[in-house]
Amino acid sequence: MRSRFTGLTIALAAVAALSLAASRVVAQTPTQAYRAPRTPAGKPNLNGIWQALNEANWDVEAHGTGASPFPELLGALLAEPAGQGVVEGGRLPYTPEALAKKKENFAKRLTRPTSRELNETTGDPEAKCYMPGVPRATYMPFPFQIVQTPQEILIAYEFANAAREIHIGRKPEAPAESWMGWSIGRWEGETLVVDVTDQIDRTWFDRAGNFHSDALHVVERYTPISTDHLMYEATIEDPRVFTRPWKMSMPLYRRVEKNALFIDFKCVEYAQEFMYGHLLSK
Amino acid sequence: MRRRIVAGQVFALVMAVVVLAPAPLAGQSSGKAPAVNVVKPVVPGVNVVKKTPWGDPDLQGVYTFSTLTPLQRPEALAAKVALTEAELAELEERDAQNRVAEDRPLAPGNPGTYNNFWTSNEKGRRTGRSSLIVNPPDGRRPPLTPQAQERRDQLTSEAAARRVGTPPFDHVIYRSWKDLPAYTQCVSRPMPRQSQAYNHGLQILQVPGYVVIHYESMHDVRFIPLDGRPHLPDNIRLWNGDSRGHWEGNSLVVDWTNFDPRQEYEGAPQGNMHFVERFTRVDAKTINYEVTVDDKTTWTKSWKFLLPWRAADGNYQKPEDLYEYACHEGNYRQMEDALSGSRAVENTAPK
Repeated sequence: MRSRFTGLTIALAAVAALSLAASRVVAQTPTQAYRAPRTPAGKPNLNGIWQALNEANWDVEAHGTGASPFPELLGALLAEPAGQGVVEGGRLPYTPEALAKKKENFAKRLTRPTSRELNETTGDPEAKCYMPGVPRATYMPFPFQIVQTPQEILIAYEFANAAREIHIGRKPEAPAESWMGWSIGRWEGETLVVDVTDQIDRTWFDRAGNFHSDALHVVERYTPISTDHLMYEATIEDPRVFTRPWKMSMPLYRRVEKNALFIDFKCVEYAQEFMYGHLLSK
Repeated sequence: MRRRIVAGQVFALVMAVVVLAPAPLAGQSSGKAPAVNVVKPVVPGVNVVKKTPWGDPDLQGVYTFSTLTPLQRPEALAAKVALTEAELAELEERDAQNRVAEDRPLAPGNPGTYNNFWTSNEKGRRTGRSSLIVNPPDGRRPPLTPQAQERRDQLTSEAAARRVGTPPFDHVIYRSWKDLPAYTQCVSRPMPRQSQAYNHGLQILQVPGYVVIHYESMHDVRFIPLDGRPHLPDNIRLWNGDSRGHWEGNSLVVDWTNFDPRQEYEGAPQGNMHFVERFTRVDAKTINYEVTVDDKTTWTKSWKFLLPWRAADGNYQKPEDLYEYACHEGNYRQMEDALSGSRAVENTAPK
């Protein structure tokens, strides 16, 4: 009995190991083998309208389902779907102080900004329609469009109509810190690699309060894996918040509808009651 | 010398000052030597410089659309369409004097408004014409329709009813953020973009099937599909409208509709406005940007303006010269000041 049980356990473990190995192969082979269509300048063509299809904007880490913030008003609308997470290794490597701050961020995520200080320190920037920063802009539940020219790659995001330009083959200096950061790009074979620096410390990674400081350095990698899919990877380095660099990855999907169109989501007016409602005439 | 503002962190402060002292922005100016930037005639098939690898006329580049030439022709120049070199030089001399005046210290008690510190120092090149409007021939907007005039009068009297105090220390009472213009709320900027004192750069990018315009101000990006698809359904209304383009010879022609009715252009709601834009490269450094404005509920006739877009000029030489214009992100203080100021005035005003 005992030996059969052990044998079964070993067999299951072997199958699990094999399937894990197989899934790695499945995930990696197309990345290395696929050759994307080229632009007139001979680079992999990333032009198009893209969107992430995952739960990372709720929480980049693995998480279960959850109620909406106001179930008495919304019922099951905007309740949180579970997600397996997009972070390699599962958890973010916070310092102890930063982990406490992350928990506080979540607890106070919908605090109304009734003072300047509260506005600058508290609450999910998404609720205020602030530009989401990088990488969050990529996996907001909204499309974004890549406009690829040889020297400049513009990425326009529907959410908050945020935009940034990636300078290719040149390294101009950032004029100041900004919400979407400063992007310098280069090609490595099939992959567009983007160094993102000079982001201010007021953007988050998700609605769960995962955050960074202004020491954030993001290296993004965009690799076509089929005509309609890109693999997106972002390595996050921020020694003031994390004990080591960490990495997230996810596929991005082309919006293949014949009439797909970028329609900007100018959300400022939807944030005003939340932000300024305490200043209304009685 | 570069004196550009990084919008986000200072917009609030500037707007707070503007809200406190809603004086007209007078005396725009130029720090440049007199420039001859006369509007050039368009000769189809002759002026285009280059094409993209896939065969479209190539309009790409970084441009500024700033000019001190007014939209409407001043009455003093009623008979003048084009300025002579001497007249242009005289106007530019006056621009330079205005610029000096803008830097003078303010009278005690005057909180001030935008001056040269906040605005670009190359905003002043005139076009060589006396107005941007080229049709009607008098260089002025056609008269408002009776219904548009009625609406304007009503808005004027509503605003007057909310004004308290005595100039220059008068205030408009803002009951809500909705009483502030969409501009001041950082919701949007009027389209089409016309000359403005700051952040007047843009970039045109092209890929097969699209012309894309990235405006520095409000980081607005207009995607202009060229595949002949129809406009969005009428019930989809956008602050920046819905653009559809096609090529006519070497010109890009864009049909622009579906504006949000709360968006305002030249003091009128944009809901019924229909623009036809025509972009033509007239030399390596210039695009002629012509816009026909049509809204029979606002103006009795359609009208047209021509605004040259100058490539690699002044502060806008390269793509990295477009800064992030984080308007709303830096606007909390301005909104708080405007609204809490109104609450304070309400609480102290005699009932």
